[in-house]
Amino acid sequence: MTDVRAAEAGPSGTPAAERGQGAPGGQDRPDVSAYGLADWLKWAWRQLTSMRIALVLLFLLALGSVPGSMLPQEGTNPAGVQQYYTAHPALAPWLSRLGLFNVFGAPWFAAIYLLLFASLVGCVVPRTFRLAGSARTLPPRAPRHLTRLPRSAEYSTALVPAQAVDVAARVLAGHGFRLRRPAADGGADGDWVSAEKGYLREAGNLLFHLALLGVLVSVALGGLFGYKADRLLVQGDTFADTQSALDEFYPGRFVTAADLGPFTVTLNQFEASYITSGAQRGQPSSFDAQISYTTHPGGPARTDNLEVNRPLSVDGAKVYLIGHGYAPVFKVTDARGQVVYDQATPFISGSSGNFLSEGVVKVTDAQPEQLGFTGVFVPTAVEINGILQSAFPAADNPAVSLIAYAGNLGLNNGVPQSVYQMDTAGMRQLTPQPQLLLPGQSLKLPGGQGTITFTGYVPWVSLAITHDPGQLPALVCGIAALGGLLLSFMVRRRRLFVRARAGGKAGSPQGSTVQVGGLARTDASGGFEEEFASLAAELRAAHERAAAPIPAGHSQHEGE
Amino acid sequence: MFKAKRRLVLLAGAALAGVALAVVLLSGWASGGNSAVTDVAGSTNAVLYSAGHRPLAPDFTGTTLTGSRLSFSSYRGRVVVLNFWGSWCAPCREEAPMLAVAAEQYRGAGVAFLGVDVRDTTASALAFVRNFGIPYPSVNDSGSVITLDFTAVVPIAGTPTTLVIDRTGHIAGAVFGTATYTELSDILAKVTGGNG
Repeated sequence: MTDVRAAEAGPSGTPAAERGQGAPGGQDRPDVSAYGLADWLKWAWRQLTSMRIALVLLFLLALGSVPGSMLPQEGTNPAGVQQYYTAHPALAPWLSRLGLFNVFGAPWFAAIYLLLFASLVGCVVPRTFRLAGSARTLPPRAPRHLTRLPRSAEYSTALVPAQAVDVAARVLAGHGFRLRRPAADGGADGDWVSAEKGYLREAGNLLFHLALLGVLVSVALGGLFGYKADRLLVQGDTFADTQSALDEFYPGRFVTAADLGPFTVTLNQFEASYITSGAQRGQPSSFDAQISYTTHPGGPARTDNLEVNRPLSVDGAKVYLIGHGYAPVFKVTDARGQVVYDQATPFISGSSGNFLSEGVVKVTDAQPEQLGFTGVFVPTAVEINGILQSAFPAADNPAVSLIAYAGNLGLNNGVPQSVYQMDTAGMRQLTPQPQLLLPGQSLKLPGGQGTITFTGYVPWVSLAITHDPGQLPALVCGIAALGGLLLSFMVRRRRLFVRARAGGKAGSPQGSTVQVGGLARTDASGGFEEEFASLAAELRAAHERAAAPIPAGHSQHEGE
Repeated sequence: MFKAKRRLVLLAGAALAGVALAVVLLSGWASGGNSAVTDVAGSTNAVLYSAGHRPLAPDFTGTTLTGSRLSFSSYRGRVVVLNFWGSWCAPCREEAPMLAVAAEQYRGAGVAFLGVDVRDTTASALAFVRNFGIPYPSVNDSGSVITLDFTAVVPIAGTPTTLVIDRTGHIAGAVFGTATYTELSDILAKVTGGNG
């Protein structure tokens, strides 16, 4: 935020006090004895809309966002919050009380946001009126003695004063100055013209404030009407952008189930390639998810490729490829010989690298009792000191290691569970040791409980779906704010005055003496000296040309 | 003093603008709700749509778990209980025994039950059907596309969701979440009793 008004402070200091000097102890400190409630409210409003407070609020907003990125947040990472509670049992409840696990929903964050909003509105509205007022106000009358101005020049010309001022006015108008000439009856003041330029400065400042307001509104729009969602999609599967098909769904305040774009996405094929040699061995070199999608159910299927940072734009939402992994395919028959499970089961890789992935297989409808398996999948199996490890992220030698359980998975009482975790409390372990299976191999469960076959594997991708209606407006407003800021920095408000008095050089009664004076009302960016010198030279040249004998057949204004 | 007055006017203007914005936002939000919806007595997640305000159920065709084609339009003229479920879904497993019983019980009254099996595989779904003795067919909706169609008219947030569709193909009632026998029979009583 800039404060161009400070430079315009009148003798009373009032305009500056509106934004910038409104601190207690300044001229705005109310005389307590004489002030009533209304005055206090006015004083509070003036404080709120002062630039100092606006800057403090902006800083607080930035500061308030910090815990949002440092601490796990309820909305995006509830598991992380749980872990934090476990790790810091004494501290976590206090942080929670302060809303630090849900920063962007915390009352104090909303308070900062709304106060900043009010501050900006309270600043922009009067500013708009002032700009409109200043656009209507003519430049001031030319002072009597222009040589006293910061910049001045004086020369004589053969033109009479009225002509000299006419010529000067045309030159200045040609440079986009706004002019003021003496009133028709005001001959007593002599011949002069006042010119002013640089209204864009205040306009730029206003644009900056309005755009900042626009950014706040855009962010709010995104928060209220946008949504974020995650979905893990196994190769060959389809999902529709509807809440029940999303793994995680974080809707904005005003988002309803029907607001989601009705697109569907199918993962046809996913390929990841890795660097196979050198120091970078095992690092990914490319990801490519070949998808087909429809913008609405039954619509024509189109194909696209998702890569990292190359999302799909569909129905106003963006679908990003954010991760991938392996889903081993298992086929389970129960004790009665019925196939009770036959599907790709996404396993999740931990931080160990090379896609050593863990997962669970829950066979909920096996007879006579439910079956469960905890497993590890390795794309390139090696055994190091008797421990199964993965040597490379590509599936060169895939294998799974399984521990089988039977009993009660605890799913029939209606309490939802994570598909990646198994509660073994109601289960008994069937295999004392983890059993290694290669693709195509089966494990016969003891006691005739059934068979599990590791039939193969398919890749999966995790997709992030975001819809942020505030994104584009925020970008536009951000650019506008920058433009406004640049304008208010680069453009100077400056005035130029030209006066012509009868009587030329060396006391000659012929012609007139021309005085040019100028001042920049704000010269933060400098450069007015040069501009004045060049304008003064141009005026002088114009006067000389106009005073030169007119060749026959040429108009008087030739050379203008 | 003039400046202060103008400021006060501006303050009032800004406050009014803020209130107006809030009102517009809130009213827009409220109009998203449906005044023609009444809760089913004693239930927090079951609703009835009054006659004239019942959303038309989208038509769909699909493949049943046993591999035959099924067209929803062939159910027109009957009251249908449409249950969105998945074998992986714990609350679905909780309500499944009730649905199996209710389906048998309402068979005589001409109420058809139909399942929409969401995000599931045929092997697991068939095992579920065998296990709970589900007597009615289910359509495969592994891609949630049928669910998506219905979401355009009723706010289906997940499984289970149970819709009761009247004889004209309009959605007359819904249970969002685990359905109880009381909720289902209350809705069915209203829909089959005369005004269905």
